[in-house]
Amino acid sequence: MAVAKLGPVCQLLCWTVLKQIKYSRPFRKSASSFISGGFANHNCTITNPIFCQFLRHQRNFHSTTPVMVTKILTVDEIFSMKSLHDYLKRVETEYANCLEAVNAADIHTDDEELRTKRTRMSFLGPLIQKIKDLEIKRREFEETEELLKENDPDLRELVQREHENCHAAIQEMKQIILSLLIPEEQSDMSDLVLEVTAGVGGQEAMLFTAEIFDMYQNFAAFHGWNFDILEFMPSDIGGVRHATASISGPLSYKKMKFEAGVHRVQRVPKTEKQGRTHTSTMTVAILPQPSEISFTINSKDLRIETKRASGAGGQHVNTTDSAVRIVHLPTGMVSECQQERSQIKNKEKAMKVLRAKIYNAKLEEETSKRYQTRKLQIGTKGRSEKIRTYNFSQDRVTDHRIGKTLHDVHCFLSGEALLDQMSVSLQQFSEQEDLIDILENK
Amino acid sequence: MNGILKLVINQLRRGITKQETLVTLPCRAAGGAVAPPADCSVTVEEAVSLWTQHFLQHGVSEPLSSSHYIIAHVLGKKTLESVERRRLRETLTDKERECVWKLCSKRLTRMPVQYVIEEWDFRDLTLKMRPPVFIPRPETEELVSLVLEHLQSEQVMKARGKAAVHCLEIGCGSGAISLSLLHSVPQLKGIALDQSQEAVCLTKENASRLGLQDRLEVRKLDIMKDAALIVRDYGPVDVLVSNPPYLFTEDMASLEAEILKFEDHSALDGGLDGMSVISQILALAPQLLTNEGRLYLEVDPRHPPLLQWLVEEQTEGLHYLGTSCDLTTRPRFCVLQRSG
Repeated sequence: MAVAKLGPVCQLLCWTVLKQIKYSRPFRKSASSFISGGFANHNCTITNPIFCQFLRHQRNFHSTTPVMVTKILTVDEIFSMKSLHDYLKRVETEYANCLEAVNAADIHTDDEELRTKRTRMSFLGPLIQKIKDLEIKRREFEETEELLKENDPDLRELVQREHENCHAAIQEMKQIILSLLIPEEQSDMSDLVLEVTAGVGGQEAMLFTAEIFDMYQNFAAFHGWNFDILEFMPSDIGGVRHATASISGPLSYKKMKFEAGVHRVQRVPKTEKQGRTHTSTMTVAILPQPSEISFTINSKDLRIETKRASGAGGQHVNTTDSAVRIVHLPTGMVSECQQERSQIKNKEKAMKVLRAKIYNAKLEEETSKRYQTRKLQIGTKGRSEKIRTYNFSQDRVTDHRIGKTLHDVHCFLSGEALLDQMSVSLQQFSEQEDLIDILENK
Repeated sequence: MNGILKLVINQLRRGITKQETLVTLPCRAAGGAVAPPADCSVTVEEAVSLWTQHFLQHGVSEPLSSSHYIIAHVLGKKTLESVERRRLRETLTDKERECVWKLCSKRLTRMPVQYVIEEWDFRDLTLKMRPPVFIPRPETEELVSLVLEHLQSEQVMKARGKAAVHCLEIGCGSGAISLSLLHSVPQLKGIALDQSQEAVCLTKENASRLGLQDRLEVRKLDIMKDAALIVRDYGPVDVLVSNPPYLFTEDMASLEAEILKFEDHSALDGGLDGMSVISQILALAPQLLTNEGRLYLEVDPRHPPLLQWLVEEQTEGLHYLGTSCDLTTRPRFCVLQRSG
C-alpha cells in the first residue's frame, strides 16, 4: 500500500532530479540518455555527498538570515550509510527468526506470541522480498559490469543497455525499500481544515492572506481536491482577515501539512505611495479533520449562538441572517460560519471547524514531544515559526526550513507546479528525517 | 461580525461622496422604485454600499445582507463571498445594473429577500420562493432532522424491509419539509397537502425541479374542512409531519412588515391560542397514523405543555413522546406516537 501511495511522489522526485540535470551544464548532453536510462546518472549529479551533517549555509545576497540547512539525500547516499545496512540486516535476522519459530510450532498452537510473530512476518514480508530482489539484481549488475570489459562492439552495445536497465531497476528497488521503511502517519490519510490569518502589516498583510488563500484554492484544484470555504472574513480593499476551508482528497493532508507556519511577504504594497518595500506576514494552520468515529464531542459542552436567539423565533421572524457561532465551553474554542444561506448548513460547517480545532489541540499535545527535535514542525510550534519568504523584488520564494529557493513568485502563487515542487521537497526532507530516526534509534 | 459592520460603515462613509458624483440616488419613481442610473458605471462594491446605505435610510431591515444577497444573486452566486474578489472591483454590465436596481427596488417595498430573488436554501435544497407562500424558517430545518433521525433509524428500516415508508405533511407551503425528507430517504413516499392553491403549485414546481415529483402527491385540501376526505384517501401513514400556523392572533399585528405585507396570513395565524390547526391535527392523528406511527409538530414555545396536557387528558390513541428544543434552546418540537 505504501508503495502505491508513494508512486506519484517517486515520479515527481525523478522529475525534480531531471530538472536539476537539465540546468546543470555538464549534464545537459546526457539529459536524454538519462531519460531512457531512468536513474542511470542519478548519483553523478551529487558533487559533495555529505550525510547527516548540518551545513551552515552561506549568507546569500538575498537571504535575510543564515539558515541551517540539511541536504536532501539521494537514494544512493542513503544506501551507502552503514546504519541502513545494519538496520536491514537486523530486519532480515528478525524475519528469519520469526519464520523459524512459526515453522517449528505446531500448526494448531495459537498463542499470543506466535500470533505477534505472524503479524510481524506479514508486515516485513514485502520488505524482505525487495531486499532479496535487490541482491539478485545487484549480482546481475556485477555480471554485466564484467562483460563490459569485452572488446566485441556488438556485444558491448547490448551489454551496455542491459547494464543501464539493471541500474535503473536497482534504483527503483532501493526507492521502494526506503518507502517501505518510512512509517505512515495516522493522520496522513485524513482530510484537513486550512486556516489562514493575516499577521503584522495591516491591509497589506490581509491582501497577502487573500493571495495565499487563493494559492491553496488553486493548489486544491491542481490536485483535484475538494475545496469548501467554511469561514471568510474579508477586509475592505479585497483582502482577507481570516478564512478557513475544508480540503479533502487523496493525499491532501500529506501534501499540505508542511504549509503550516508564518509566511512572510516582502514587496512594495499597492497601498504604498513612496515605493518602499514592506515586510508583512500571515499565518497558515493545517488541522487534520477527524472522522466522526475517531473523535466525538459531547453536545452538552457546546453553546450555539444564532441571530434568532433574541425575540420569539420560529414563524414570528423572517431573516436572511443564518450565521451560526459555536463555543466549546471546556476549551473556550470558538468557530463561526455564515457562508451558507441555510442555518443548519452553517451549523454543520462551524462544527467541522470546531471539531478540527479541538482535535488538533489534542493531537498537538500528544505529538509535541515526538517532534521536539525536528526541523519540520507541524502544529503549534510550527505555526509561530517563520517558514517561508515571498520576495517580489527578487522574484523568489525561499523555504527557510530546507533552504530551498524557487524563482517566479507569481507562478508559485498560482498554486501549481512550483508549489508542488516545494511541497515534494518538504515531504522528502521529512521522510528522510523519519528514516534517520528509525535507523539510528533502534 | 462587528468588524465587518464597522468596515462597511467606513465604506459607506466613503461611498456617500462617490454616490453624489456617480449615481443620483435616491431618485424615486412611482411606487417606491428607484430609477436605475442610465449612463454611468458602477462597480459591484459600489452597488453594494450604495444599496446598503439606501436600505438603511429607508428603514429596511438587514440592509447589509439584503444588498449582499440580491447583488450576489444577480451575479449568479448565492453569497457575495463566493463571488471572485476581482469581480467585486469590476463594473456591472448594463443588464446586471438594471437587474440590481429592479430587485433592490422591490426590497425597498419591504418584500423579503427570499421573494425578491425568488429562491432560498433549505438544508441541502434550493427552493423556489413566491409570494404569498410561507418562507421556511431555519427552525424547520431542525424539525426535518428529527424526522430523518427517526426514519433512518434501524427500527423503522427493519420494520418496513424493502417496502415504501409513507409520510403525510399538513400545510406544505413551498414543500420544504416533504422534499427534504424525500431527498434524504429514497424509499419514502410522500403526500403534501395545503389549503392554498399557490402553495400547492409551488410545491409541485419545486418537486419537479428537484426530480422528486414521482414520489410526492400534492393536493389542495384543507385539514379544517376536508378532514373526512383526508382520512379516507390518505391514511394510514408512518409519519405525519406539520409546521402548522401557530402564532397567536394577538401577535400578528406586531410582525415585521416583511411578513405582514407579503406572507400568507393563513399559514401563520393559529387562532386565539395558536392552537386551532394543531388541535385539529391532534384530533385526526390517531386515524391518520399506522400503529406506532409518529406525529412531528413545530409549535410556539408556549405550546408544548398545553399540547401534552391535551393529549394525555383528551385525546384517545395518542401518546406524547417528548419535546425537543431548537438551536436557541426554546421548546419548539413535539413528538407523538399512536398507541393501541
